[in-house]
Amino acid sequence: MTETPRRLIESVWLPACLSLALAICVVGVQLVGSESLRVTLTEMLIRLSIVVGIYIFIGNSGIISFGQIGFMCIGAYATAWATCDPTWKQIMLQGLPDFLREHTYPFPIPIALASSLSAAVAFLFGYTVLRLSGIGASIATFAFLVVVNNVYSNWTSVTGATSSIVGIPSLGGPWAALAFSCLAIVVASVFQHSHFGLMLRASRDDEIAAKASAVDVLKVRLVAFVFSAFLIGAGGSLYAQFLGILTPDMFYMSLTFITLAMLVVGGIGSLTGAVAGTVVVTLIIESLRALENGIFLAGEKFALPQGSQEIGLGIAMALILIFRPQGLVGGFELSPPLRLLERLRLRLGAPAQQSHDLVSRGD
Amino acid sequence: MIGFVQNIVDALSLGSIYALAALGIGLLFGILRLINFAHGDFITIGAFALIVPSRNETAVMGIGSLPFIIMVPAVCAIVVIAALMSDRLVFRPLRRASSPTLMVASFSVGYLIQNSILVIFGARPKGIDLWSALGKQIAVGPLRVPQLELVTIGVTLLLMLALSAFLKKTPYGMQIRAAAEDFQMARYLGVKANSAIGVAFALSGILAAAVSLLYISQTGTLTNVLGVPLMLYAFIATVIGGMGSLVGAVVGGFTVGFLAVMLQAYLPDDLRSFRDAFVFGAVVLVLLVRPAGIIPTRALAQRV
Amino acid sequence: MILEVENLSVRYGSLTALRGVSLGVDEGQIVCVLGPNGAGKSTTLAAIAGGVAIHTGIIRWCNQPISGLMPEAISRLGLSLVPEGRHVFSTLTVEENLLVGTYQRRDRQEVAKDMKRALEIFPRLRERIHQPAGRLSGGEQQMLVICRALLTNARMLMMDEPSLGLAPIIVDQVYEMLLNLRQRNGLTLLINEQSSERILKFADHVYVLRSGELQLSDAAANLQDGKAIMNAYFGFDARPAELAAAGNGGGR
Repeated sequence: MTETPRRLIESVWLPACLSLALAICVVGVQLVGSESLRVTLTEMLIRLSIVVGIYIFIGNSGIISFGQIGFMCIGAYATAWATCDPTWKQIMLQGLPDFLREHTYPFPIPIALASSLSAAVAFLFGYTVLRLSGIGASIATFAFLVVVNNVYSNWTSVTGATSSIVGIPSLGGPWAALAFSCLAIVVASVFQHSHFGLMLRASRDDEIAAKASAVDVLKVRLVAFVFSAFLIGAGGSLYAQFLGILTPDMFYMSLTFITLAMLVVGGIGSLTGAVAGTVVVTLIIESLRALENGIFLAGEKFALPQGSQEIGLGIAMALILIFRPQGLVGGFELSPPLRLLERLRLRLGAPAQQSHDLVSRGD
Repeated sequence: MIGFVQNIVDALSLGSIYALAALGIGLLFGILRLINFAHGDFITIGAFALIVPSRNETAVMGIGSLPFIIMVPAVCAIVVIAALMSDRLVFRPLRRASSPTLMVASFSVGYLIQNSILVIFGARPKGIDLWSALGKQIAVGPLRVPQLELVTIGVTLLLMLALSAFLKKTPYGMQIRAAAEDFQMARYLGVKANSAIGVAFALSGILAAAVSLLYISQTGTLTNVLGVPLMLYAFIATVIGGMGSLVGAVVGGFTVGFLAVMLQAYLPDDLRSFRDAFVFGAVVLVLLVRPAGIIPTRALAQRV
Repeated sequence: MILEVENLSVRYGSLTALRGVSLGVDEGQIVCVLGPNGAGKSTTLAAIAGGVAIHTGIIRWCNQPISGLMPEAISRLGLSLVPEGRHVFSTLTVEENLLVGTYQRRDRQEVAKDMKRALEIFPRLRERIHQPAGRLSGGEQQMLVICRALLTNARMLMMDEPSLGLAPIIVDQVYEMLLNLRQRNGLTLLINEQSSERILKFADHVYVLRSGELQLSDAAANLQDGKAIMNAYFGFDARPAELAAAGNGGGR
């Protein structure tokens, strides 16, 4: 009886806090920020939803996947298929099936298409590959990324190969991105506190013990993998609608590295870490970008060479791995102040027995 | 029939390159449980070591224009130094870290190398001409075999024999094999951890340098990510060969080379550009039948 | 004293595995650490050998502090650990296994002689010298790891449960070998065991560990009736029936 409210409070508290923090950022930027800051913020929020999606698999299962950005690619292109101008598609993407080539679809159909296609691919791929050991699975996901890139870079009649896809209609600014990243956080939190999430975390901490306790490791991993791909596919859709233009190489090593860096920098094992890491890495990237463009110090223009951004990020990542291997938040998760809530409840005259349980479990 | 034999020679030559790259990865994995994603970028370093650093579009040979007998050791030395530096600066502080952490760290090292090369050499691909005299074909009966392929196969065989002799006969080789099997026990017997690992990094650097030279003499194009697909194929090779087994790495390398060449040769035209996807699909099939690879290692099963 | 351990504590995360353990070993002695499973015996030996980080305490070998040194450095000082569970390099041949431990030595001529002498003591290993060590039986593997540790030029061997998983008759052979080695080479031995039955015959000094703390330290001669050991081992005054049982099985 008391288990349910406590888990409910926990799974609501965490996303509520994180979303609130993000919402404050958005309000702040909307009030005082410039247009370019607004764009940066929107991109950060979309990346956040991707990182949270990656976290659902990597953070809970402990298996590093280098392939999740492949799902982003799949989602982004699916969105382009569903939203681009039919006359353009008839010329450039002749290989599309009729229902995509001849029509455009309004929100939310493109996102639904993107995420379900990603999830379907994830199911097929995960079903075959996740039975490998952790390291084997990681390498297979890397290969997956390459295969997706290879296919999307060469399948001229369906993806336009390496020529850009243009004219994807925009979905809106920071607010839409905020809504979506909050949704991603809620989904991740619910998953993490669910039956599946707990079993998966058990298998991460001790696979043999989890198997011995009748946890079907392949199944729980697969569920997380598909969930993750579902969110990332949707994030890819959002990204496509944010940028309006697509090439397969946007979804390759660089973005894989940046999103993975965000997760690792924050701390791979917690949702709080995923959010914190995204914010911190965005700050690092943006400051390096500003330095590349040049700043004025005592009248002298001072600029870092092009490419410093990537090198700086690589160095920052290595330093964090060496000096804070658990990430900035070190596995810490925002948890509800149960005692405080309890005191409030007592004042409101809740039954004593139940409240006692709530507190002792909170310990 | 002749076409088929010709394909076999191609496959052996490509397989050689993958096997060498896979050996470099397998060595470090054996001793350190490190999945070194930066190995491909060590190969890239070896290739760029040939030319004079500049962002100009046309490449000017630097070390590459030296006589063979100086050039090869010089390229090896540069790659070995890069490998040792990455160990000293990144991997040594992470000795006690978990396998996923090491993997992400090596990914960071690779990203750093790729982008440093980008900053130093610019983004455009550069064409260089290394040993083009070897491009001539030799007629063996009705077969016409590029000399370069024979050289590649020969060099690979030699390097494998040398590596195997080193590991079997020299004190350092023996210590590396012992450490690869049980690192802590080897240390209790006085094997110096950091020097054994250093030697393994150096060996993997030499193997990477050999791959650079053989690969560049075939393709003739330098880009900052040229090592990435090689690295990926080599990883696939180590996984299907059996992680942690050097013999497995070689077997896996040749398997992947054969798959790639045969698919390239016999896939219908319009599917040929999806070759990588097919190779990977075939690899997944292999793994479904033998999840631990073709040559599974017991040591790995106990520890991972 | 050749080895002195003062106030040694070891922690694994928040878990304290050893708390303030002090012990000493004289040259040429056989010293035994007794204790039930999880008492901290293996941790003690691993900490001395540099295999686990120590939290507090000082370890001195020949009056030099060695705490904080790397395991390979400690091995090079002549203090060799034979960990529990044998740990042969199973894909290396018997000969290669033996050689691994000798590379740290400078006296290359002596190595060949020592190797020959060692194989005289362990004739079974000589018969199988070119076989992969993974193919040896459990007893032969135990011989191999002892021989391998000796060839590092060790002055002292630390043996972690040498009798674990071996048939009693093989255990007798192993101990015979160890005694033999002490007589010939003046070897010092620090041995972990769960059972006191056999060790009381050979040991000069006995320590009993329980839950990471030292319970008893006394000359083996004073402990022959086993009662004091049992009290320390279980932490209460054992009744005669339990005493008898423990005398056979060491408390299991």
